[in-house]
Amino acid sequence: MTDVVRTGFRPSRVAIYGVLLLAALVYLIPLFIMLVTSFKTPMDIRTGNLMALPTDWTTIGWTKAWSEACTGVECNGISGYFWNSFKMTVPAVLISTLLGAFNGYVLSKWKFRGSDLFFGMLLFGCFVPFQVVLLPMAATLGQLGLANTTTGLVLVHVIYGVAFTTLFFRNYYVAIPDALIKAARLDGAGFFTIFFRILLPMSTPIFMVSLIWQFTQIWNDFLFGVVFASGDSQPITVALNNLVNTSTGVKEYNVDMAAAMIAALPTLVVYIVAGKYFIRGLTAGSVKG
Amino acid sequence: MSQLELRSIRKTYPGVAEETLKGIDIDIASGEFLILVGPSGCGKSTLMNTIAGLESITDGAIVLNGEDISGMEPKDRDIAMVFQSYALYPTMSVRENIAFGLKIRGLPKHEIDQEVERVADLLQISQLLNKKPANLSGGQQQRVAMGRALARRPRIYLFDEPLSNLDAKLRVEMRTEIKKLHQRLKTTIVYVTHDQIEAMTLADRIAVLKDGELQQLGTPKEVYDRPENLFVAGFMGSPAMSFVPVTVEQGDNGLQAEVRGNDGRAIKLPVPEFLADRVGREVILGIRPEHITQPQDQKNDQTLVAKGEFTIEVTEPTGPDVIALIQLNDTNVHCRIDPEHPVEWGEIAELMFDMKKVVFFDPETEKRIAPH
Repeated sequence: MTDVVRTGFRPSRVAIYGVLLLAALVYLIPLFIMLVTSFKTPMDIRTGNLMALPTDWTTIGWTKAWSEACTGVECNGISGYFWNSFKMTVPAVLISTLLGAFNGYVLSKWKFRGSDLFFGMLLFGCFVPFQVVLLPMAATLGQLGLANTTTGLVLVHVIYGVAFTTLFFRNYYVAIPDALIKAARLDGAGFFTIFFRILLPMSTPIFMVSLIWQFTQIWNDFLFGVVFASGDSQPITVALNNLVNTSTGVKEYNVDMAAAMIAALPTLVVYIVAGKYFIRGLTAGSVKG
Repeated sequence: MSQLELRSIRKTYPGVAEETLKGIDIDIASGEFLILVGPSGCGKSTLMNTIAGLESITDGAIVLNGEDISGMEPKDRDIAMVFQSYALYPTMSVRENIAFGLKIRGLPKHEIDQEVERVADLLQISQLLNKKPANLSGGQQQRVAMGRALARRPRIYLFDEPLSNLDAKLRVEMRTEIKKLHQRLKTTIVYVTHDQIEAMTLADRIAVLKDGELQQLGTPKEVYDRPENLFVAGFMGSPAMSFVPVTVEQGDNGLQAEVRGNDGRAIKLPVPEFLADRVGREVILGIRPEHITQPQDQKNDQTLVAKGEFTIEVTEPTGPDVIALIQLNDTNVHCRIDPEHPVEWGEIAELMFDMKKVVFFDPETEKRIAPH
């Protein structure tokens, strides 16, 4: 009797793939609807089926959303706010990631009395709801003269992000053998040399994790944006909300959908570009020393 | 050429009641190969870290070439260390690993290149210079780690269990290489290991540590032949020395002590005269496997030699010898028997006891009873 390994269809396999396919569909349908709607004419939307492909493909929704749509009183589209978001997100992501890397380095390799307690308390920062800090933060920004500025928003996001980025880097660096630091110290390297020459070059995977996480968080943030920014400095999430809620005449779903797609694109791009590092960083065990 | 003095080094970790190092005094001569050996937790790695400056000392002084370096930063001590895990910088090539310390010290580029070439030649790693550590085998990583230490021409080399991560065959090879290297370069080396064979084969002198205290400091031969106490005696040597409680008696031909096998057969072993003041009292006989062998004709007429028949309980052929287990006074005793002289378990075999090199310990103090 020999057991033959069966490679053909088996009911359990079919069931597994069926469920997976179904789940994928459920998640893809909204995206599909958004995408097709954004390319439809308003006429098409009113008369046609929600799931149907556009009868006349048009990019008018996209161009209008980008440069003509009204967000409140002004009707210049969301392009300006799109760049606002970049001006806010890029510095906030980079600063919070670098600070987190540095914190993680100190908290894992240069422990001081009470450093574990310090780290524990810092972790609370991950669980503080945004709403709790709104008023004190508004007062602080006002006193710093940063109210309603992009710089102020960057500051808020950096402060909020440092708890997470520190957690990422600290846990990554803890797995790196201490002997590496000792060897570098004996080689004559100081505190900063060890960080910049030894540890940072080893940090690509966790850097990617931190970048993706922070980019997604900060780009998608609405609450801080709506509270701490106004007018010209508002990020795209707030502008999108204003665009959708501005009611002058007929609701232009194609413009709404296109604007939403534009707002979501950068995070999608970041994930596609750096995604493989994200998984690698999350699953990275110890680094061979 | 550097001479290192450890003067009553004490170390207490904050929040720990017991001292980790309880006053260690060792003088290490220039060019000497000193090995710190002991079981885990004996403080040998801590002692090494304090020499390197990676940990502070609570009391005492570390003096290098007459200069007190106790309070200095590691980088100012000019000491290099080879780690058990090699601790190679993973993002740098072998060349960059070796050059790192030189670069930080601001050496000009051509001198760095020269030095890297010299070290690479010395350790036969020239063909690996452009590889990353992850692409090297354990033995190659070990060589690179040694190269990194050698490149700086430091005053002292520290080795922290450098061979523990290698497989048995490679370990023996690298052991020989380290010894060769030391004979060639005549550098001062402090080497930590828990492997007593490494200690015996490499060291000029061995320092045996236990619970933060220096048990014995001496040449491998001294430590092996004249262990200060039961701990050192049991730690050095494999299979370990056996300890048999015996009572010293006055016999017709001098002092003797009775040992009884588990089958009831007993013989009187001759013991040296310096035990005269212990007649009637119990002492611990420390006897190494090589002191109990098959009968050897050339030893028949020697003094302090005895023969007796005992039941063999277990035999362990190792190749060059057969290690046989017998029972003397209810303790297990290992014998080293020539494989050409077959013994089987369960058999009664005639064994020869050579008492010239056995040692005796006081059961109270556990210290060796020294000849007067």
